[in-house]
Amino acid sequence: MNPLYAPRRRKSKIAMALCLGATIFGLAWLTLILFTLFWNGFAGLSVALFTQMTPPPNAQGGGLLNAIVGSLILTLLGIGIGAPIGVFAGTYMAEYGRFSKITSVIRFINDILLSAPSIIIGLFVYGAVVVPMGGFSGLAGALALAVIALPVVVRTTEDMLLLVPTQLREAAVALGMPRSYMIRKITWRAARVGLVTGLLLAVARVSGETAPLLFTALSNQFWSVDLLKTMANLPVTINNFINNPDPNWKRLAWAGALLITLAVLSLNIVARSLSGGRNPK
Amino acid sequence: MTDMILQEGAAAAPTNVWRAKALASFKVGDSVFKLLAQIAAATVLLVLGGIIISLIIGAWPAISTYGVDFLTTQRWAPNARPNPVLGGLGPIYGTLVSSLIALLIAVPVGLGISIFLTELCPQWLRRPVGVAVELLAGIPSIIYGMWGFFVLGPMLADTIEPAIVDAVADIPILNVIFAGPASNLSLFNASLVLAIMILPFVTAISRDVFNTVPPVLKEAAYGLGCTTWEVVRRVVIPYTRVGVIGGVMLALGRALGETMAVTFVIGNSFRITGSIFGPGTTISAAIASEFAESRDLHQSALILLGLLLFVLTFFVLAAARLMLMRLERKQGI
Amino acid sequence: MNEMSSAQTMAPNADGVKIAIRNLNFYYGSGNPSLKNVNLSLLTNKVTAFIGPSGCGKSTLLRVLNRMYELYPNQRAEGEVLLDGQNILAPGLDVNLLRARVGMVFQKPTPFPMTIYENIAFGIRLYEKLPKSEMDGRVETALRGAALWGEVKDKLDASGLSLSGGQQQRLCIARTVAIKPEVILFDEPCSALDPISTAKVEELMDEMSTSYTIAIVTHNMQQAARISTKTAFMYMGEMVEMDDTDKMFTSPAQKRTQDYITGRFG
Repeated sequence: MNPLYAPRRRKSKIAMALCLGATIFGLAWLTLILFTLFWNGFAGLSVALFTQMTPPPNAQGGGLLNAIVGSLILTLLGIGIGAPIGVFAGTYMAEYGRFSKITSVIRFINDILLSAPSIIIGLFVYGAVVVPMGGFSGLAGALALAVIALPVVVRTTEDMLLLVPTQLREAAVALGMPRSYMIRKITWRAARVGLVTGLLLAVARVSGETAPLLFTALSNQFWSVDLLKTMANLPVTINNFINNPDPNWKRLAWAGALLITLAVLSLNIVARSLSGGRNPK
Repeated sequence: MTDMILQEGAAAAPTNVWRAKALASFKVGDSVFKLLAQIAAATVLLVLGGIIISLIIGAWPAISTYGVDFLTTQRWAPNARPNPVLGGLGPIYGTLVSSLIALLIAVPVGLGISIFLTELCPQWLRRPVGVAVELLAGIPSIIYGMWGFFVLGPMLADTIEPAIVDAVADIPILNVIFAGPASNLSLFNASLVLAIMILPFVTAISRDVFNTVPPVLKEAAYGLGCTTWEVVRRVVIPYTRVGVIGGVMLALGRALGETMAVTFVIGNSFRITGSIFGPGTTISAAIASEFAESRDLHQSALILLGLLLFVLTFFVLAAARLMLMRLERKQGI
Repeated sequence: MNEMSSAQTMAPNADGVKIAIRNLNFYYGSGNPSLKNVNLSLLTNKVTAFIGPSGCGKSTLLRVLNRMYELYPNQRAEGEVLLDGQNILAPGLDVNLLRARVGMVFQKPTPFPMTIYENIAFGIRLYEKLPKSEMDGRVETALRGAALWGEVKDKLDASGLSLSGGQQQRLCIARTVAIKPEVILFDEPCSALDPISTAKVEELMDEMSTSYTIAIVTHNMQQAARISTKTAFMYMGEMVEMDDTDKMFTSPAQKRTQDYITGRFG
């Protein structure tokens, strides 16, 4: 055998062993985290979680009902504001503005917004909404979530619409269809699975965000459905519970974290199976 | 039957009048729809503009009071009299150092995992592991923060960190960087949590980037008798170099701005101690912990920190995006 | 807005000409024209075939006739195209109305992502509000007109995409015919189909030719010889020769035409 080959082979084996080691290392940590989460989270699960309000410190029992409801309200409102704007913006970029320079600028800016620190979004909404309104509110929180959801929906909408074959559009236009009619009835319809997937991914992203809510919606110990006042939500509630040594609060914090993680994971899994494995990052 | 029906096509003229009428009813809706799309697209730009403007407005009092000294002052005393003394050096240092350490750990490990996924992993395992990595990338950062606070922090403080402190006690520079006492809350702990958090992200991006290498290219190299490592080192990585750097910078952008993963474990101290085993803070952690109750100049200083963070991440993310665009163009996308 | 009512047109079909193309130049961007000074006429209710090597501009020409090129920036046409005497390249013309009068069938079958029934009804609904029974009748008419009714009458609720390639193309033809156009443009309609489907579509075009003005772009010269009355040979953006089909294929006037037809090039 060629004498040069043995050291090359050895080098490759070492390198590949390191890669395997890295994989085991990385996956081990992540498994550990999930394990801890599920272990502690399930320990804190109970029916009371969904039927009782957040308790005061150093009490017994209690649940997360107000936080769960508040989170649902904020998420729905945030998506309800951010998603339509995102779909229309993506539609502009893929249809009307497909060949124009401004679309590439918008895409670039959108990608930056997509990865921007979410706490900055919180600061923005604080200055733009909380200050003029004179106080923290659920509305501000929902707006912050809308700003977080917007770039996700813009990106997936544009990507999915670009996948629709041009010939389909031409066939529709050849019948004399006005542009908006063609977009609504043909293009959106052809891309509908992808658009729904994008929506689910936006919900998943928004569900786990804490930082933008820290000084917009704040949180609330009690039942809160008034959008003009602070609103209870899971992430900030968990945040508050962790910063206190009360073991009851700690138990609830883990349970809440588990709920959020399960929601995010199931949304991602559903989105993934809908899109058949294609990854709309 | 066919002839009878086809002859209808000849009766064209009168139909055009009512056809024009039917189409006319679409006119308004058509214009409104287009307008909505244009406004929505403009909204993306407006959001960015809004962020920049609101940050500058909010930070202005702090900018005019402290000027450039803000970047070099360590002292953070919001309650000092007669005027608060606020310097951003601590958080800035913490942000940069924690992100750097996180990258130093996450990038090699992440690249290693993606090399494993693209070259070594048996075919049936690739999809499950790949999907697992992507799902992990979606786990909210507060989970990592919690875990770091309850599990990792104490574990490090009890075992590894004292060991390192003792090990380097006599080595000149290292015994300053790794000075004790070990604590649950430290810059190092935060960096580690951050590293684990951005790990799935680095893996997912670099795996996607590695997958852009045309199989023919790799087959040509293997065909010459190259070992796996040689193919990776000589073909895959050079081909995707720009994309990998872009991916790393994207991960850096995420790490710089991360809040919840670090806030719980970093210790919230604005002083720079030189030892990474000591407490510290990052820009986002500082804002997260102090903003809600802050007022006036204190609040303005926090917003100024936010502005600095935004500018920093903006440039990092823009550079990352440009590099990834270069890779896409190379592929002919 | 220019409505194309018959009252305004000049002596339609007086000399049997449905579409007259005069001095047409077409540009992709700012370079050399892709169509150079094209002059020809399409006769009413006759089939005109366009043949020529790849890139000669025949598809481009077709796409001028229903202003399909306008979907894309940097593409423009200069000259005149008269439909029943009215210039359809004039600015201010209602393009949607033009396309209702001049239909198009594409190379690749493109059924809409809907049921077979909806594929047809969809176009009709753009222009007419019909009660269900009447719509049912129109759909059946269109499907019969495309020789597809027998094959799909029991599965009108199936997705248009569930049909075979040949059936999908006939569905697209039915869809086009359903809104009662005057002219139908076929852009290589059979190149994606198997021979049996091709034969069926050709038979269809033959029957349709008595009621519609048809222009067909084809790579298949035998097909052009089979179904067209007039044939135009194009080369490098220019109209080289146009004549009765029989004459074109037996004794063309131009040498280039002769070379192409005998397979010397292209």
